[in-house]
Amino acid sequence: MRTLAMILAGGAGTRLTVLSEKRAKPAVPFAGKFRIIDFTLSNCVNSGIYTVGVLTQYRPHSLNEHIGIGKPWDLDRARGGVRLLQPYQEQRGQRWYRGTADAVFQNLDFILGHDPENVLVLSGDHIYKMDYTPMVDYHQEKGADLTIAVMPVPLEEAHRFGIMEVDEDGRIVHFAEKPKEPKSNLASMGIYVFNTKMLAKRLSEGSEESPREDFGKHVIPAMLGLGDGVFAYRFQGYWVDVGTIDSYWATNLELTKPEPALDLYSRDWPIHTRSQERPSAKFTPQSKVTSSLISNGCVVRGLVHNSVLSPGVYVSPGAVIKDSVIMNDTWIGPGALVERAVVDKQVVIGAGVEIGQGDPSKPNEAMPDRLFSGITVIGKGAYIPDGLRIGCNVLINSDRTESDFPPDEVKDGQTI
Amino acid sequence: MAQAFAMIMAGGASEYLSVLTEIRAEPAVPFGGKFRLVDFTLSNCVNSEIYNVAVLTQYRPRSLNDHIGIGKPWDLDRASGGVRLLQPYRGGKYGDWQKGSADAVRRNLDFVTSQSEDHVLILSGKHIYLMDYRPFIEHHILRDADLTVAVRRVSPYETHRFGIVDLGPEGRVVDFTEKPKRAPRNLASMGIYVFKKEVLVAVLEGSDYVDFGRHVLPAMLADGRRVHGYVYPGYWADVSTIQAYWEANMGLLAEEPALDLYDPEWVVHTRSQERAPVKLGEKADVDGNLLSNGCRIDGVVERSVLSPGVYVAPGAVVRDSILLNDTVIETGAVVDRCIVDKEVVVGKGARVGHGENNRPNKDLPHRLNTGLTLIGKGSTIPPALTIGRNVVVHPFTQAEVFGERKRIISGQSVGQDIRW
Repeated sequence: MRTLAMILAGGAGTRLTVLSEKRAKPAVPFAGKFRIIDFTLSNCVNSGIYTVGVLTQYRPHSLNEHIGIGKPWDLDRARGGVRLLQPYQEQRGQRWYRGTADAVFQNLDFILGHDPENVLVLSGDHIYKMDYTPMVDYHQEKGADLTIAVMPVPLEEAHRFGIMEVDEDGRIVHFAEKPKEPKSNLASMGIYVFNTKMLAKRLSEGSEESPREDFGKHVIPAMLGLGDGVFAYRFQGYWVDVGTIDSYWATNLELTKPEPALDLYSRDWPIHTRSQERPSAKFTPQSKVTSSLISNGCVVRGLVHNSVLSPGVYVSPGAVIKDSVIMNDTWIGPGALVERAVVDKQVVIGAGVEIGQGDPSKPNEAMPDRLFSGITVIGKGAYIPDGLRIGCNVLINSDRTESDFPPDEVKDGQTI
Repeated sequence: MAQAFAMIMAGGASEYLSVLTEIRAEPAVPFGGKFRLVDFTLSNCVNSEIYNVAVLTQYRPRSLNDHIGIGKPWDLDRASGGVRLLQPYRGGKYGDWQKGSADAVRRNLDFVTSQSEDHVLILSGKHIYLMDYRPFIEHHILRDADLTVAVRRVSPYETHRFGIVDLGPEGRVVDFTEKPKRAPRNLASMGIYVFKKEVLVAVLEGSDYVDFGRHVLPAMLADGRRVHGYVYPGYWADVSTIQAYWEANMGLLAEEPALDLYDPEWVVHTRSQERAPVKLGEKADVDGNLLSNGCRIDGVVERSVLSPGVYVAPGAVVRDSILLNDTVIETGAVVDRCIVDKEVVVGKGARVGHGENNRPNKDLPHRLNTGLTLIGKGSTIPPALTIGRNVVVHPFTQAEVFGERKRIISGQSVGQDIRW
């Protein structure tokens, strides 16, 4: 077999706050009916890679449910297919995955058992459509030990990424993980093709002084230091790491624009997901819906503008939803107003509730670095009592119920 | 283990659905946006815990075969039982084309006898209903019936379309008249039967009965067999006419439709296509519709049912219509009271279903006279063409067939019937 893929899906994704509190970040719903990991899994099968390991650690239940035996991606196969690789005990003791590279290292026997020529290491957190075939071809042509997919980013954002400098042959001559003063704008996308033998060798060499826990921090610098052939593969196209509430919200809403950069409607690169069995979306005569994505199973009786609704959302008559992302089976009461909000699954928003009315410039008091752009986030299964007013940058945790709320108002920047 | 296995009749040619069944068997006709007719019966089976299901096909089965496949969407891909497609075959005692429902079962009697269940549920693949078969089968077993027929009340004006039943004491069927011109009663057979297996085999083996309603049921009554009726009170529709098909679709748009597709306790399963959510553009104006995943709406859509992947361009208007998968309505086109099959392109500024003239269709005057215009699969309606009402455009009619014509008046047919 030529290529095996390992998808890193174990991180906690804490910057997504309550969305990733009860589920791993790759399992966070996206664009209505998808979950974030669907993009990477679909890229694998669309690229003809049918042996995929998914490394899980943090809150894997909804990810396990979603992936199951891999039916939606045709990964339920006799040979290869999808394997969920959890941390495990062995006779020498037990170890959690300590980082991206450590997670792969602990599953080296899974990789070697399939005897692939190359190992594609991917992240389950990214939104993009990419054919991995040309990248693997490039890796082979160069005879590389490691090939890293790169794309140019704005120089002022370069400090958030792993930044490389390459020579004219495409060989990486310098790599800096999240540099304070970036010397280039070529950023690592966290997508790697390793020569299997070299991957096994380099991961096995770890020691106290020279650990091999993280690809960006340890493995890539070590390989450069040892003079391995490390090449950059330039990717052109849409790619987003939805790391923050702000980018999660914006990336969703971008899809409602007339010609978004991410085209979900072309039939030549389908994004597969575990579709729930739901009837078509229903729009009653009182409804008015513009610039929005509405999934199957929704019933819309109110006004929806510039929003993304997951399957089974119910919008009562007289309710207004603007600039919001609403997830599965949330119920929006009559006359409620929801603006600039991200609402998780199975939330009940009572009649006449107003969300997102206030001063967007006042950041969340508990998490000023995560909730500051005016977006209010409501956790899964919360019950918002009738008539409550909720301001901007508010965080409402999962399963909060009537008794958790003040009588009539949750002010800007508060957390419930 | 279940006490019955199911045989679904899916082979009939059903000419009354015109262009929809020119290219496919009636059970494969799309319904309610993302479903096909057979989904209801298949889902009723699995929701009633009947996991041994045979589907009998004959007429244009390809899209039905594609749809059912190995039965994954219904969890009917199983090691024992599961779904089996039974096609016509040659050889042996019974190998030949099927002449009717009873004949179709007779040609598969070896399949019937080799099943371990004691009762056989005979179903139609073209009915729309959500029915739990378990109480029906229980009713049949408790009364030790040879045959139990599901019956329901129908409109007295429609009795001529059905087999009319008279129930005597204890629910025994005492009289049966197939499609009577006049009927004093309105209790109709739904074409849903449960037989004692040994009786079914005995009756079919020694006879040349072709149809269950016309031959088997009267013969069994005449022979004094125990035939019972089971009154089913719920929603049930046999969409065997264009008007009934259109009404059943439009019925889903009601505030509280008689057919509840949103019931999590009785999910209708289908082979869902992998499509992104419905996208509504800035200028979209949608009122009272069912829109399926993969649709993109930039125009006006009112009181309509759209299957996955339909595109309505800016300035286009769709009213009171059914549009099937991946049809494109271009800018400025108006589609009014139409049924448009898959992959049709309605060109810029075309008007389909236009005017007040309601002349019935010349080829189907009894069936197509309510003003609905039908466009067959894969056709192209040239820009600026006006098409009247009760018009049939046969499948795969390309723009050049319309030539220089600017107008197709009501009641015309265009293109070639590809039924036979």
